Amino acid sequence: MTTTIVLQQAINGIVLGSLYVLVALGLTLIYGVLVQINFAHADFVTLGAFAAYFFMHLIGAGYFLSIGVALVLGAALGWLINASIFTPLRRKGNELLPLIATIGVSVMMQNLMLAWFGPIPYAFETPYSSQVIRFAGIFVSWQNVIIIAVSSLTIALLYAFMKFTFLGKALRAVSQDRETAGLMGINPNQLIMLTFVIASALAGMAGAMLAPVLVLTPFAGTSVIVKAFAIVIIGGFGNVEGTILAGLIVGLIESYTTQYLNPGLIDIVVFALLLLMLAIKPTGLISERREENV
Amino acid sequence: MVTRCRALFVGVAVIGYLAASQAAHAQDKTIKIGALFPISGPGSYFGAQDKQGVELALEQLNKTGVNGYKFAVQYEDSSCAPLPATQAAKRLIEQFRPDVIIGEECSDATLAVMPVIEQAKVPLLNAGSSSIKVTEPGNPWTFRIMPNEVMQGVNLAENAYKRLNARTAVLLFENTNAGIGNAQVFKDTFTKLGGQVLAEIGFGRDVNDFTAIATRVAGLSKIDVIPTYTLEGQGLKITQALAQSGVTKGGGGGTIQIGTIWLPFGFEQKAGKAALGYIRIVQFDPTETRDVVKDFTAAFKAKYNADPTHLNAHAYEQIMLIADVVKRGGKDPQSIRDGLAATKNYSGVTGSVEFDRTNQNTKMDTVHYMETKPDMSWTSLKWN
Amino acid sequence: MSDPALAQPLPHRQSPPLSRRVGYLLAALAIIILPLIFNDTYWRTNLTICAINVLLALGLDFILGYTGQLNLGHSAFYGLGAYVSTLLIVKFGIPFWGAFVAGVAFAGMAGMVLSLFAVRLRGHYLAIASLGFAVIIYQILLNWISLTQGPLGIYGISPPPALIIGGRVIADFHNLTAFFYLVAAFTFLVYLLLNQLVRSPIGETLTAIREDEISAASLGINAAVWKVFAFGVGAAVAGAAGCFYASFVGTLVPDAFFVAEAFNILAMVIVGGMGTLIGPVFGAILLTLLPEMLRGIGDLRLVVYGAALTLVVLFMPGGLVQAARFVHEKFRRGGPQP
Repeated sequence: MTTTIVLQQAINGIVLGSLYVLVALGLTLIYGVLVQINFAHADFVTLGAFAAYFFMHLIGAGYFLSIGVALVLGAALGWLINASIFTPLRRKGNELLPLIATIGVSVMMQNLMLAWFGPIPYAFETPYSSQVIRFAGIFVSWQNVIIIAVSSLTIALLYAFMKFTFLGKALRAVSQDRETAGLMGINPNQLIMLTFVIASALAGMAGAMLAPVLVLTPFAGTSVIVKAFAIVIIGGFGNVEGTILAGLIVGLIESYTTQYLNPGLIDIVVFALLLLMLAIKPTGLISERREENV
Repeated sequence: MVTRCRALFVGVAVIGYLAASQAAHAQDKTIKIGALFPISGPGSYFGAQDKQGVELALEQLNKTGVNGYKFAVQYEDSSCAPLPATQAAKRLIEQFRPDVIIGEECSDATLAVMPVIEQAKVPLLNAGSSSIKVTEPGNPWTFRIMPNEVMQGVNLAENAYKRLNARTAVLLFENTNAGIGNAQVFKDTFTKLGGQVLAEIGFGRDVNDFTAIATRVAGLSKIDVIPTYTLEGQGLKITQALAQSGVTKGGGGGTIQIGTIWLPFGFEQKAGKAALGYIRIVQFDPTETRDVVKDFTAAFKAKYNADPTHLNAHAYEQIMLIADVVKRGGKDPQSIRDGLAATKNYSGVTGSVEFDRTNQNTKMDTVHYMETKPDMSWTSLKWN
Repeated sequence: MSDPALAQPLPHRQSPPLSRRVGYLLAALAIIILPLIFNDTYWRTNLTICAINVLLALGLDFILGYTGQLNLGHSAFYGLGAYVSTLLIVKFGIPFWGAFVAGVAFAGMAGMVLSLFAVRLRGHYLAIASLGFAVIIYQILLNWISLTQGPLGIYGISPPPALIIGGRVIADFHNLTAFFYLVAAFTFLVYLLLNQLVRSPIGETLTAIREDEISAASLGINAAVWKVFAFGVGAAVAGAAGCFYASFVGTLVPDAFFVAEAFNILAMVIVGGMGTLIGPVFGAILLTLLPEMLRGIGDLRLVVYGAALTLVVLFMPGGLVQAARFVHEKFRRGGPQP
């Protein structure tokens, strides 16, 4: 009986972790290249979820097509935010201003969604969300399996992109040293735009996949965003492998804390871990050394 | 001489103005109702539905008026939190000068505005906060229509023990004033009767995935009932997770999920098979056969194209009760207060209303029990 | 031979003391007159909340604007001040002002604890660490129900005891005007104190750390000590704001100190003008009153608020101070000159 519980919570933790990783991936990408935090990222996720919902339930399209729509919408939003906020503010060189601007955008988006969609939670059912796989006394819903599968696929694709394509290498170059990359004929601004678009597309897609799992209100994104930030830091800013590892760890912490302690303590444990990491190894679980020019 | 003439002139003008405004006021008979609802933030879940109920009531009442009076409502956003709520209350009182105020939903906000409204000597009619502290101290200016957490919790625990023969329970509740308060009442009553609470699991409003909690519950020894205190968004996830883990009837287990009025009509349709066998207190049942309920439900459907929830019904009830008081002669804050206190034999959409000396409505027909059938409809359990 | 460093006056010393004193006088006058002009409870409450928010913004600006430390968790100190002082009064019967001092001291010490992270971390790392700190404090306030009552809340908190001199009641703090004067006077004193600090060599040290920490170290400045100092002062001020908040609103729930509050305070500093002292004052006043004045709009109130915030940052990053300087320049010279 106890082994079943431990195993089940392990699976629950991995599922939760994948949920967080999906949201955090975009954040870590943006940070790696831009050294910026986008507070509106959570709201891209929420909007992606709603887009998928309405596309599916109003137009009657299939689930996977709806995910595609959310992805495109996220990409468009990312382009818009980068063009209107990050690019103009980058010239001013202040780290805080874009952060505040994205807070303003976040407030706007949440309240616009509130005005459009209302506060009552939407029940997003897909063909997969109620079907459950059972084996050896353990259960997992098909929706969660899809989440894990699609996020693994996405991560693999992203990884390959970063390591093996020219664009990917250029992205890494820009994140390590923007000026030198510029000297080598890479246009940093275009690459930053590309990163933003990819990251926001990921956010939209994450929203669509998570919509059946989340309590779908305009405030859905905010329920995960702060933990997503914590994961990005614990894993190491800008580091994809680190984010994945950290996400899974946080997911497991959550399920085991729920089992043996109290769900109310989850945030304390996760953020205590965050502070511990920052105290001991600020660059994250898997880090690249960054030199700072004097 | 000139000065005295001017003074006389001014005096006549003032008297004339006062007389004219009295006459104007006499024709302009309106009962002003202030509405403190959360309109922004997550609390707008309540505010949006409350507004629907209020608007329907106003539409019906203002067709003919009551005793020559029409009704006007001013909404202020109280955001479900103490400081914004007191701000909204002060603004309401000073700028709108209402004869009566309805609201709030969240217990913290209601408790915070009560002193402000009491000081202004305006009656507050509440139908949304369950904390016992709202009426227990006995504030002459605060009235509550809905059954409080003690009325519901004690009744639920007794029924669970006696009618369902439950001896073990696991409490699931959101970490808010109302969630913790309600769970505490159940626990106290249940243990006093001889039952055993196996676990008390509180969770934050930001939890989306309840499989971990459901797994933990599944790992406990035989559980008879799971009292659940949460709103529909998380409630849906909990019910489905409990079914998936095989604990509750909806998942093939033997445990019965029980709860209070927080979940609206229509919840079962959203939850699906997982909600089978769910027994809960509802304050409003649109399938009731009483005329007043049938008329309300029909009118609501006609206006909004949806079935009314208990939140719509509460808000409608508040306005209608005020109208009843006006019919009995209420016309300003003091007389409306007295009229409310004297309410007897009033039958509304959520049940009867009669206030005890702490201004709490103690009529137990506001506590109806329902069980979810396999076809997702309700069986009314005649437990009250 | 004079030291060239001394010969060059620093910009802030150019403003003559007279205009500054006139400014203080005007501010004092405004504080006295405002509650008499706005004589209903709704506006007097707004004024007091403004004063409390000014305190919060000043404290944060000291850490962020002057010392350059990215503190995103200021709400933690606010909450600690409120809860420590209130619990001492309600559970242990400690008199108000004693609890006040304890609350301020506790918040200041918490600030110093967070500053230990600031010593080791820079930029965004510190930002997220401070955010994490704020989340932890909030969750402790929320979950340690046996101590703090958590979401159940603490009700009926009294205002400070009346000021009685020689048997006569000078000020009864149940009266909103009196309470406003108390908080506004305190805020004014804090402003004066911080003003003295930033104009002294201490202020220059802090600014040096903000501008270039590594070079500052080469000048022999022990950045660590000064960061601890800045966080301690800023946090203590926030703690004082918390004490006033609790006794003013009369109701204490943890949600008032949710992490989003830290962003509100940050917005006040930025919109007002980071790195100046007068900026946060006006930023706090504006961002406190703006949502109230927008109540008439209804549902889209917060959308407008968010839009305003974004636009200010995009087009006027120096905040209100920058806008004021811009207008001042135009007036003085009658237009831009080469």
